[in-house]
Amino acid sequence: MILFMQQLVNGLSIGAVYALLAVGYALVYSVYNFTNWAFDAFMVVGAFAAYYCITLFGLPLPVAIGLAMLVTAGVAVSVEVGAYRPLRVRQAPRLFMMISAMGASMAIVNIVNLAFGGSFRKFPEISSASVELGGVYIGRMDLFAIVFSFVSLSALWLLLGKTRIGLGIRASAIDTVTAGLMGINNNSVAIIVFGVSGVLSAIAGVFFGAKYAVYPYLGLVTTKAMIASIIGGIGSLPGAVVGSLLLGVIETFVSAYISSVYRDLISFTILVLVLLFFPNGIMGAKTVDKL
Amino acid sequence: MSDAPLLSLRNVSISFGGVRAVHGVSLELRKGELVGLIGPNGAGKSTVLNLISGSVRPTEGDILFKGKSIVGLRPDVLSRIGISRTFQNIRLFPQMTAFENVALGIHGKPLYSFAESFVRTRRAWRAEAEVRERALSLLELVDLTRYAKERAGSLPYGLQRRLELARAMATGPELLLLDEPAAGMNEDECGSLVELIRRIHEESSYGMILIEHHMNVVMELCADSLIYVLNLGEILASGSPREVQADQRVIGAYLGAKRSANERRRRRIS
Repeated sequence: MILFMQQLVNGLSIGAVYALLAVGYALVYSVYNFTNWAFDAFMVVGAFAAYYCITLFGLPLPVAIGLAMLVTAGVAVSVEVGAYRPLRVRQAPRLFMMISAMGASMAIVNIVNLAFGGSFRKFPEISSASVELGGVYIGRMDLFAIVFSFVSLSALWLLLGKTRIGLGIRASAIDTVTAGLMGINNNSVAIIVFGVSGVLSAIAGVFFGAKYAVYPYLGLVTTKAMIASIIGGIGSLPGAVVGSLLLGVIETFVSAYISSVYRDLISFTILVLVLLFFPNGIMGAKTVDKL
Repeated sequence: MSDAPLLSLRNVSISFGGVRAVHGVSLELRKGELVGLIGPNGAGKSTVLNLISGSVRPTEGDILFKGKSIVGLRPDVLSRIGISRTFQNIRLFPQMTAFENVALGIHGKPLYSFAESFVRTRRAWRAEAEVRERALSLLELVDLTRYAKERAGSLPYGLQRRLELARAMATGPELLLLDEPAAGMNEDECGSLVELIRRIHEESSYGMILIEHHMNVVMELCADSLIYVLNLGEILASGSPREVQADQRVIGAYLGAKRSANERRRRRIS
């Protein structure tokens, strides 16, 4: 039972990091109907920014995370303005936006690789201490990841549901043209959407970097987040969260009870089976609503 | 105050590919004036509204709003300087509630900043309260108060039309463009819509352009003002309802009198 609870917590902690990324995918997808393949690069930027804030400038972790969020949001918005907006204005097919996204991703990852080198860096100075809760040990970093992810996603949920900015974003997601005619500045909406997704991927980058290592290709994990968002129901934010937590927990249980060698094989087989029964994803019934 | 017209179209033309959808149209509208725009299907009526609301850009000519050219401005900018519209085929945000649809359009100035929406300053609260109040009063105007929390898409057709009208007014327009507000309505619904539009017109100072196929709706609403008749992208006639109805060219356009060779040529590739 203790082992079960322990693995559940571990799974939720990795799932929380997937959720940040998956929600980023879902947010962009719901408004622009394309998959932003550049998320992996944003995540890398976030991880590196936080790493260097701590190692070079000796900043405390919360400040480093804050700065990493800012830098990554900046990069995300630049990619939107430089690589996506020109295509949108010319009403290019969505496929071209995805290609453009892949290009942006490779460019950014390679720039990071060239500028900082491809070595694996241990994220410094994170406490490895654990908190004991009824026999279950939770790493403080894991706990922090779960709480912080949950708080960020709740903030996003409030932003979308309860504020006028959110109302504008939702309107844009439903019908961009009409939203424009109602006075919604679609360019500002794009900046907010990409800025927010950049912030989410920065947080994910920091936690992932802290859990494993900081290196230019750590963004590969975003593939899993994208799959999680599809399992949850593409374009649905609650679906993205559910899909991510599920994937995180399945992965951890497979590693713990079966074998970590077969982790990806077994977890993805399960997910393919899920898709057979819920072809629109778990929250698929609601995906018509988007967001 | 100068009495410059609220809106003036000067020799506006637009071609899609080779087809001249609108050709050399000029019209003027003063503050508080309600004019009708009629014409057979495909005459270019909706295109004229699309030109004014910035969805398409004229290939020739100029459009002035309050004396300034608005050609090339983004739709959201036009909305903010006071141009608003409804659509021939309803374009509400169906997944949002009636209230949200209306609240969305209420802006004007940046009421509060992005950061404030999180920390909820007193200013942000007050702004939200104002938006709420105004949205509810607009819903009341179109008699939809009790549907405020219903999803727009679940409302009956006639009510969606009214909701779209309330949403168009939410942006605080000076010019309101109504694209066939009575489309698909029965006699009763038309009657109450005429009442509603008349009340809006009398109580506001909006300039209004009304496209409509229900002739009795146009004739009633534009009884004391002008009707423009558009045919094959050009203004065929304009005048009071009585004058327009008696005009032989108008009757010809609607009933399909033989076009002159000259007209046929103009319609073709420019």
